[in-house]
Amino acid sequence: MTRGARVLLLGPYVLLLTVFFTVPLLLLLAISLSRQSFGQLEWTLTPQHYIHFFTDPYYLGVLADTLWLGAITTVVSLLLGYPLAYHLALTRSRWKPLLIVFILSPLLVGIVIRCYGWMILLADRGLINATLVQHGWLTTPLPLMYNKFGVTVALVHVFLPFMVLSLTGVLKRIEPQLIEASQTLGASPRRAFFEVTLPLSLPGILAGSLLVFSLAISSFVVPILVGGFKVHVLPMVVYEQMLSVFDWPFGAANAFVLLLISVALIAVYIKVTERALRGIV
Amino acid sequence: MILRVSVGLVYAFLLLPLVIVVLAAFNAGNYFTFPPQGFSLKWFANFFQRREFMQALWLSTELAFWTAVASTVIGTAAAIPLVRGRFRGRDLLNAFVTSPLLLPQILTGVALLQFYTLLKMQASYGALLIGHIVVTTPYVIRTVTATLTHFDLALEEAAQSLGAHPVRAFFEITLGVIKPGVVAGAIFAFAISFDNFTLSLFLTSAKLTPLPIELFAYLKYSFDPTAAAVSAFAIGVALVLVLGIARFMGLEEFTGF
Repeated sequence: MTRGARVLLLGPYVLLLTVFFTVPLLLLLAISLSRQSFGQLEWTLTPQHYIHFFTDPYYLGVLADTLWLGAITTVVSLLLGYPLAYHLALTRSRWKPLLIVFILSPLLVGIVIRCYGWMILLADRGLINATLVQHGWLTTPLPLMYNKFGVTVALVHVFLPFMVLSLTGVLKRIEPQLIEASQTLGASPRRAFFEVTLPLSLPGILAGSLLVFSLAISSFVVPILVGGFKVHVLPMVVYEQMLSVFDWPFGAANAFVLLLISVALIAVYIKVTERALRGIV
Repeated sequence: MILRVSVGLVYAFLLLPLVIVVLAAFNAGNYFTFPPQGFSLKWFANFFQRREFMQALWLSTELAFWTAVASTVIGTAAAIPLVRGRFRGRDLLNAFVTSPLLLPQILTGVALLQFYTLLKMQASYGALLIGHIVVTTPYVIRTVTATLTHFDLALEEAAQSLGAHPVRAFFEITLGVIKPGVVAGAIFAFAISFDNFTLSLFLTSAKLTPLPIELFAYLKYSFDPTAAAVSAFAIGVALVLVLGIARFMGLEEFTGF
């Protein structure tokens, strides 16, 4: 392939990405260092918005809550996703395509709809509470929504497919002979799992966890709809600063804090997935 | 046995909210209760009679269509040198072209909003379309790459040694073989654009609202099952699109397992 052909084929997308992705992100950084007075941006290089963020207990609390929700979501997704991925990687069932549809379908259904499903289930007059009260098992509805519990349930539901996809890819590449060999050598299936399968799937666990964590800490639709603005997370602060308060520099600084966390996670993710591919195949 | 039961429960957890939304859409009552209060299509009738929902549906369909067309062309073209070319910085370029996939979309949305506002082109159709193309193209690159890596270069060389021009050899041989990946990529791009909420939220206005944004606005103020009908409709669309991907590429190939 000649250089000219390469430029012709790659050029359009690289150009599009540079102008409408890289430049806007650099602009975001510039705005986070600027000052705004009476709605006008002044191009400065001030760290004041970052200082504001990292010295205000409210925003530090929001940051801590965001990371905490992300961590719980990741752990629960891993616990639920591992058996699913394990089963999917090994199954020879003719229903396998259908199982893949089940895993992909929540991914392809918009996030607003998935939240709405949980709202119907978890609301005070929702399906679960209404059923419990109707049968006299409860007098007052359980607080299932508009709190961290509901937000975590919905976040796990939204991001579980990503965990399953990451894990299945790695689990599938583990050679069955390795497990058979360990069992021939006298290991129980349980021991073979813990000493062969689990360690070999560690790269997938790490990759899936990084992906889910990074997605969970940047989700704001779930906290808004299922959390009802009562669970405050960093992306929601960004959203409010940008679209309601119109404090662009501070909003941009918040976004950039989120961006730095994501970029750090992505860098580790790329390293891990590369190693995952080299290590097992 | 324990594995099967727990796997079954997790699938139930994944599907439950979607099933509930569909049931609520066909339920006669204002609140969804169990057992359901009888079958009704009135929420669908309401959905199809409301002008704002119909306009939003049309906008989303049109937007997803043009997004799919553009990102398929741009993404397929970009995938070829990324798989075949041997040049310095290929890995770096690979990471660069898939970066919109990895970066949280809220950040892309915020950055584009500020960029467009400074250029005075916010909340325009073109601006929204470009945003969608930026985030869907990496998916096309991925599916095309998946089929292109299996492709035997000897086929194309054979065509060329039989006298075909390289461009003709590409269109008649290569494109025929990688078609499954291209079509699956196009369908996936359509699906991602049609359902996109996060990016669209920052790039829309009162006059320019795709369906997910309209649904979100509706849900903020009312809880009636018209929203369920809209959602059930979108779930149906997603299902048709998944079947399309299954038909053209195969889901095991598409997901990589």
